Amino acid sequence: MPTCRRAGVLALLAVLALGPTARDATAATAWTVDPGHSQLTFHPRLAGGEFAGRFERFEATIRFDPADLAHSSLLVSVDLLGARTGDTDRDTALQGSDFFQTARWPKGTFSSTGIRPLGNGRFEATGKLTLRDVTREVLVQFRFDPAAPSGGAARMTGSSSVRRLEFGVGQGDWRGTEWLDDAVRVDFDLALRAAR
Amino acid sequence: MPLRNTAEAYGSLAKFLHWAIVLLIVPQYFLAEAADELPNGLEKLQLVNWHKSLGMLVLLLALARIGWKVMNRGMPGPIGEPWQRKAAAAGHGLLYLLILAQPLSGWAMSSAANYPVTLFGWFQFPALVAENHDLHETLEEVHEVFFYSLVTVAAVHIAAALYHHFVLKDGVLRRMLPFSRS
Repeated sequence: MPTCRRAGVLALLAVLALGPTARDATAATAWTVDPGHSQLTFHPRLAGGEFAGRFERFEATIRFDPADLAHSSLLVSVDLLGARTGDTDRDTALQGSDFFQTARWPKGTFSSTGIRPLGNGRFEATGKLTLRDVTREVLVQFRFDPAAPSGGAARMTGSSSVRRLEFGVGQGDWRGTEWLDDAVRVDFDLALRAAR
Repeated sequence: MPLRNTAEAYGSLAKFLHWAIVLLIVPQYFLAEAADELPNGLEKLQLVNWHKSLGMLVLLLALARIGWKVMNRGMPGPIGEPWQRKAAAAGHGLLYLLILAQPLSGWAMSSAANYPVTLFGWFQFPALVAENHDLHETLEEVHEVFFYSLVTVAAVHIAAALYHHFVLKDGVLRRMLPFSRS
């Protein structure tokens, strides 16, 4: 009986000691985004021509292991006030009630619900995108390039096509798609470093 | 009326290009002014895009006109005193230069503000310069200066053509008129 109890205490201690390690084993690698070498851009088609805008501020919580997609997840929060297109009039319009209406909804968020492999280092994440007060499912295709053995960052580059009108991004005249396409491509290129 | 120029008159292609460019340039001023009056929005975007598409069409037609002129040297010869010939050659050179420079400055101005330039949405031209706010402000002024220069040189061009027609009573104006046979 005493032996048994001692064994039980040891087992409990072992679980406590190994607990965090054991939990890590079920979660994919955590990555931090190097903001100086990462970008998140959007590419609307305006009057039949495409231009690029960028989100200057965003945060990403990334757990990703190509060998453990079940425990991988992507969580991105974009400060929409940092949307820049190279023209102050257009930037002001984006902040206004016709588009992001940042006075009420200053952030856009994406939260993955699943990731599946597409082969050749490519993946597809399914997730919930929230813009304004609307949340819809979107697909994100990306590729993951592990850091070179010589060092440097891992890269996650990808793209998603967002139907802006599903989210109410485009009110009034901008509900039409003749001059501003509904589909807006969002691209990202992230430099990732394994979090300590 | 032959397609190619003859010693007596411009051919139909040179005439077509000359008058098409005139007809496309005239509404440009009104489109730009009307767009300037509007608040930012879809209507302004539409007017500006018409202005940009017409401007790019002018650029393409002007290049075609210059190309045709180079390929088609047998054009009506110059008329008048040596100084008049020199003045006419200089005036025509300046007109060609401005007709090219004006759309190019507009194209660069759009590119500097990161706005796409298309031909009626059918075809997108690449950006001529990188996004640059200060450059955009400068080009906006350049575009305006080119416009006033173009109006001035075109006014002299028209005055000279009318002088030939009504004072000298030679065939200079008639040889570029759209439906004239001589």
